[in-house]
Amino acid sequence: MAKEPVRVLVTGAAGQIGYALVPMIARGIMLGADQPVILHMLDIPPAAEALNGVKMELIDAAFPLLKGVVATTDAVEGCTGVNVAVMVGGFPRKEGMERKDVMSKNVSIYKSQAAALEKHAAPNCKVLVVANPANTNALILKEFAPSIPEKNITCLTRLDHNRALGQVSERLSVPVSDVKNVIIWGNHSSTQYPDVNHATVKTSSGEKPVRELVKNDEWLNGEFISTVQQRGAAIIKARKLSSALSAASSACDHIRDWVVGTPEGTFVSMGVYSDGSYNVPSGLIYSFPVTCRNGEWTIVQGLPIDEVSRKKMDLTAEELKEEKDLAYSCLS
Amino acid sequence: MDFVIEGIDYTSLIQKALVLLFCVALSWKMIIYMCNMLNIEQDPIRVLITGAAGNIGYAIAPMIARGMMLGPDQPMILHLLGIEPTSRSLEALKMELQDSVFPLLKGVIATTNVVEACKDVNIAIMIGGYPRIPGMERKDVMSKNVVIYKAQASALENYASEDCKVLVVANPANTNALILKEFAPSIPEENITCLTRLDHNRALAQLADKLSVPVSSVKNVIVWGNHSSTQYPDTNHATVSTQAGDRPIKELVTDQNWLKNEFIAEVQQRGAAVLRARKQSSALSAASAACDHIRDWFLGTPKGTWVSMGVCSDGSYGIPPGLVYSFPVICEKGSWKIVQGLSIDEFSRKKMDDSARELAEEKGLANSCLNA
Repeated sequence: MAKEPVRVLVTGAAGQIGYALVPMIARGIMLGADQPVILHMLDIPPAAEALNGVKMELIDAAFPLLKGVVATTDAVEGCTGVNVAVMVGGFPRKEGMERKDVMSKNVSIYKSQAAALEKHAAPNCKVLVVANPANTNALILKEFAPSIPEKNITCLTRLDHNRALGQVSERLSVPVSDVKNVIIWGNHSSTQYPDVNHATVKTSSGEKPVRELVKNDEWLNGEFISTVQQRGAAIIKARKLSSALSAASSACDHIRDWVVGTPEGTFVSMGVYSDGSYNVPSGLIYSFPVTCRNGEWTIVQGLPIDEVSRKKMDLTAEELKEEKDLAYSCLS
Repeated sequence: MDFVIEGIDYTSLIQKALVLLFCVALSWKMIIYMCNMLNIEQDPIRVLITGAAGNIGYAIAPMIARGMMLGPDQPMILHLLGIEPTSRSLEALKMELQDSVFPLLKGVIATTNVVEACKDVNIAIMIGGYPRIPGMERKDVMSKNVVIYKAQASALENYASEDCKVLVVANPANTNALILKEFAPSIPEENITCLTRLDHNRALAQLADKLSVPVSSVKNVIVWGNHSSTQYPDTNHATVSTQAGDRPIKELVTDQNWLKNEFIAEVQQRGAAVLRARKQSSALSAASAACDHIRDWFLGTPKGTWVSMGVCSDGSYGIPPGLVYSFPVICEKGSWKIVQGLSIDEFSRKKMDDSARELAEEKGLANSCLNA
């Protein structure tokens, strides 16, 4: 007996992350191979023709799980009845733009999307904000959609998490599926802190801590961190375009683990509403280690935090506080 | 020398202890080995993508890495080939694939060296080719691609795995595949195919839309001929699954005129329509169709279902042998077989012959480019 289709909204769907993401959703990578979906694709009017082109291609791909496609520039139509919302749309930073300008444009976008989601999305809609500044866009969304449970509003740091796993696996020449439990703390920006203190590698003699196997703290505390932090820029330099494939893939991972649950003994990184855990100020969207079960995420508690980590975690919290203030000043 | 102290033969005891230790160690190793056997993973399959730095390559790489082409249990190693000017983009694609931590993806080789790219590959998806630029004559496009596919043919023949399955996507797909076949004579000709699955899927989707049914309930359209504007999307044997079983499309779509005209034109011109809307040619749907083509070839078509593949003609249905022509096929155990015995009406006969004629012309043009 087939399941009822789930409605998934992708904003900014005519862009390149959207183009990479929608076939993944339609093939069941986000919600499972037996979960039919109806895609809602939303973008701004200048992108309407391109958006329709994407709809045509989705139809031409004859995906068995794809039960419908709504391609629209109307936010109400886009948000109606959606169970999952992936917010890829936002104002990109152009050369010469001040941070304040980017912030102010995105703040107004996310304020109005908040209202649309709150009024028209299905109850218990799960929201993932991808567009940068991801954490602060998610915070604005939360502030202006008070009836959406705050635990349902998250931002994407899974890309950084996956990049960190990739770097460790390359360093150790092991399959990436043998590495787990890195943590990305904080802001999806250059102050993010990729923490390997609790990460492990599967070996023939059981799971071993990454630090033990890498045997190079200098690399782990230095180059490794900066490589992960700057990976996005490295990709832009090589492709002349920002990461779309890997961003889309990690967005699928984020939602899938949230909905289906994380494997036993594994945690992942999600930008979530801080509750004060680990002395991170509450009232920010901050990336934490989480496990997921029954459609809910829970911050992994009780992990020891050393001095080096403490400093980095505080640094990124500070940046988030500044972004929050900047966002509010744009609103007033 | 004997260690015998107070009547206890320590030598014998030590010998026995050593034997026991040896047996325990051996048994332990066997137990571990057997446990590992239970988790045995299949050997990775090597998949080559040419023209990998382009839009179709960017769309298809994550699909393959997620198991959409070979199934959820089949690990793979991706070989990404591009020309020298695209080497940085290739590197970036490799980085993004690493960043996506796909469990099935066991390695990525990104290279501009055709030998390295072709080495030991089990599947080759030929997306690279010379695109038609406005103002170019058909002869010029043909001559550029003929040169490319002749070179790729010998690389594949010399370095690919013996059982390598080839799918040509780059246009003119059928003729590029034909050139490949002619210049790689030791590759079994049944292993060289071209993509018409995109047209097949487009046809299914148009029918599903007309009947307002899910696309998964429509099957057995056929795309005959050339992946070009002479392709013939044939609904004469297509069916829709309903509560009363599978019913012929012709029964449910009463508008014969639509089936013979508008429907055919829609499918034939769909590529151009997408290009107009997106300002770029179809990548997402082409990539998806390529995955479907290989997956069905590898894993088999579902019972009672056939699909369309451009394959080397054996003379079936009066189509001249020596062309790469799209036929209805079923797949089983890694091999395709043309569905025989389907009735062909006059209307279909004409369209099928038109497309064959165009392919013969392309073949003539290609040969003249080679002899020039």
